[in-house]
Amino acid sequence: MTGPTGARGGGDAAAPAPDRSPPAPGPSGRDTPDVHAVVSAVWRLESARITAALVRIVRDVGAAEELAQDALVAALEQWPATGVPANPAAWLTTIAKRRAVDRIRRAEREERKHAELARELAEPMHAAAEPAPGDDTDESADVLRLLLLTCHPALPTQARIALTLRLLGGLTPEEIARALLLDTTTVTRRIAEGKRVLADQRVDFTGRPAPEELRERIGAALEVIYLVFNEGYAATSGEDLIRPDLCLTALRLGRLLARLAPLEPEAHALVALMELQASRQAARTGPDGEPVPLHEQNRGRWDPLLIRRGFEAMLRARDLLAGARPGPPGPYLLQAAIAVCHAQARTAEETDWAQIAALYQALAHLLPTPVVQLNRAVAVGRAEGPQAGLDLVDALHPDPTLQDSHLLPSVRADLLLRLGRRAEAQAEFRRAAGLARNEAERAFLLRRAAALGIAVTGPDLGAAAEAFLAEAALDASSRRSYAQTLRRLRAGLGETAPLGAVTADQVVRVFATAWGDAAAATWNRHRAALRSFAAWAGHEELAAGLPRRPAASPAARPAPPPRRDLRSLLRDPGVPARDRALWRVLHESGATVAAVLALGVEDLDLAHDRARSGAVFVCWHPETTPLVAELAAERERGPLFLSARRPAPARTPADGADLCPRTGRRRLSYERAEYLFKHATRELDPAGAGFTLRTLRAGM
Amino acid sequence: MRYLMTARNTETTPAPDEKLFVEMAAFVEEMTAAGVLLATGGLAQEGVRLVSRGDELTVTDGPFAETKEAVVGFALVEVDSKEQAIELARRFRRIVGDGESLVQQIFGP
Repeated sequence: MTGPTGARGGGDAAAPAPDRSPPAPGPSGRDTPDVHAVVSAVWRLESARITAALVRIVRDVGAAEELAQDALVAALEQWPATGVPANPAAWLTTIAKRRAVDRIRRAEREERKHAELARELAEPMHAAAEPAPGDDTDESADVLRLLLLTCHPALPTQARIALTLRLLGGLTPEEIARALLLDTTTVTRRIAEGKRVLADQRVDFTGRPAPEELRERIGAALEVIYLVFNEGYAATSGEDLIRPDLCLTALRLGRLLARLAPLEPEAHALVALMELQASRQAARTGPDGEPVPLHEQNRGRWDPLLIRRGFEAMLRARDLLAGARPGPPGPYLLQAAIAVCHAQARTAEETDWAQIAALYQALAHLLPTPVVQLNRAVAVGRAEGPQAGLDLVDALHPDPTLQDSHLLPSVRADLLLRLGRRAEAQAEFRRAAGLARNEAERAFLLRRAAALGIAVTGPDLGAAAEAFLAEAALDASSRRSYAQTLRRLRAGLGETAPLGAVTADQVVRVFATAWGDAAAATWNRHRAALRSFAAWAGHEELAAGLPRRPAASPAARPAPPPRRDLRSLLRDPGVPARDRALWRVLHESGATVAAVLALGVEDLDLAHDRARSGAVFVCWHPETTPLVAELAAERERGPLFLSARRPAPARTPADGADLCPRTGRRRLSYERAEYLFKHATRELDPAGAGFTLRTLRAGM
Repeated sequence: MRYLMTARNTETTPAPDEKLFVEMAAFVEEMTAAGVLLATGGLAQEGVRLVSRGDELTVTDGPFAETKEAVVGFALVEVDSKEQAIELARRFRRIVGDGESLVQQIFGP
């Protein structure tokens, strides 16, 4: 065996004494460079258990993390001199627990706790020498508790991800930042924020939640794990299509959770889903990093070991549903079943698309998201022919989440191509390329468009729009307004769409998605901008499908959500702080949505519960001020309400005033804010459409 | 990254006892739960040896005399670094006692 210590030591690992028999090499010894690597290796493997045990002792996630870090620092200081102990994990645990005891003693807590802790400390020393199998269950309960804590519903999603990676995955903030393509400051802030929320929650660190609640909390943990996996598997931005280390971290967390909650069918189903998706990892990218679509993948490169593990996890999930946990299949099980269908087909032609289409239909009942609907359309397109698929795609309710995604046009392009409508397919591939945020994917889509080999004549949409804005005699405010209309059109149709190939139908679709529900005045303003552009370009027919809308009478003003529902919504800790703050400010100030979204951190006057908006003030209730303060955090300037993501490099760069100087994130757009509110109030609306932000202003 | 760890016995390798089985089962359980261990198993002492040389292929049935060189067990692990693989092998060796292990990175699939 070639361990770094070379010696086999069964001694008391609790004692940080040298384990090496040869003379200690000292800090400059030949093994020294390895020590860092060894410490971080041990840490990655052990930190979850160490931190989890500490949380139980000190009952505070923040303090537990600090203590764990202290132990890590101690190892980094001592091991180069003393050599790596025989049982590094036990060494770290013992040191950390010892420090926990010191800390509590210093704080002079009650005697009772002392006794508890003394026992706690005595046990692992014992266990280090001779691991007691009985200890295991306690330890598992600790780790499960920690995982449920870091995925606590009170935390914003981003904080859940950061905390889980930090405390369960053992990743440093730098590693998390690298994995999620964020800057370290942001990650550190999210972790700190998460710990603060947990501290405020007075969560129970020892008890076990009720079964109902436990299921729900496990559901939240599964969601976080799958988010991490997807961020690695379908890297939404950046240069690489897959970030395997992130996938691996998620897989490990999933396998861990399935062991900790062995009776939860969805936990096993998620593991199955991830194992099966990961099995295709090597085949998913071509030699130049370009994506290879599923039906073109070399199935010989799928990892049989992971496929088998996926099948096994799937069987465990199915067994539970058939026995210990009877019930209908959950969303992860359905998705895993779809992955199983693919894995079972030896060639793409053997794929059972009818079965997959049926599974997607079931999934669409549970998760009626546009992406699921779109995938269903793909499956139907394979099972019943491209026309059936295209009909489904075109029937999809235009949804803002899909509007700026390359998925919709690339699916359409595929279906059109199979129908032999090559020119339209090419246009859709180009549109998709214009929307793709991932470099490899964009290049791939452009190649597919080019492969269709239809010569493009005339200028493309992006160039034409720029030329129009530069040449037309427009005053500054019209130019800004026209630019907004054209930006939406370019986002919807793709920068590189040849102007000559744009049809009135496509324009209608973009308008319906973007402003279909907008007030008549908004619609008419964008319509006027488009007509002006179309006339300038000599393509008047482009505006043909856009009728002018009569202005709405004041009586038609939409009603606000029921007051009681609204009140609880505005206090719901499950709603992200940003959205809650926005809604409350709108509701309490009566200011216009545009004015509130335009607020900057520098406009805030928190001492007086207000913010300057031009010559007037937007005022809110003092209870809302802490929420607003939280949003501003340590920022000094930039937009108060920020979008969740940084703009991708491919997007039109925002105006400097619309970017946060610290995080680079963009100002929250009206469309997005509107969508979020509608989404959140859909259940309150008898019509099921959700309420517009404007209705918030109506009732104080 | 994936690593294959193989274990060989030496002259001083102790015979497995009840304690070893219990500890090993706990270790395997723990590593599986942590999502690190993908596959593991012990290997039979008997085996078939195939040697090819030019066009000639010799197939020999075991058991073989030099049993001490035979691999007695393997573990396939998925970790982030070589150090993590070594750390796992260290723990394994601590449980089984005298003998030797080989830790090799797997390329592919």
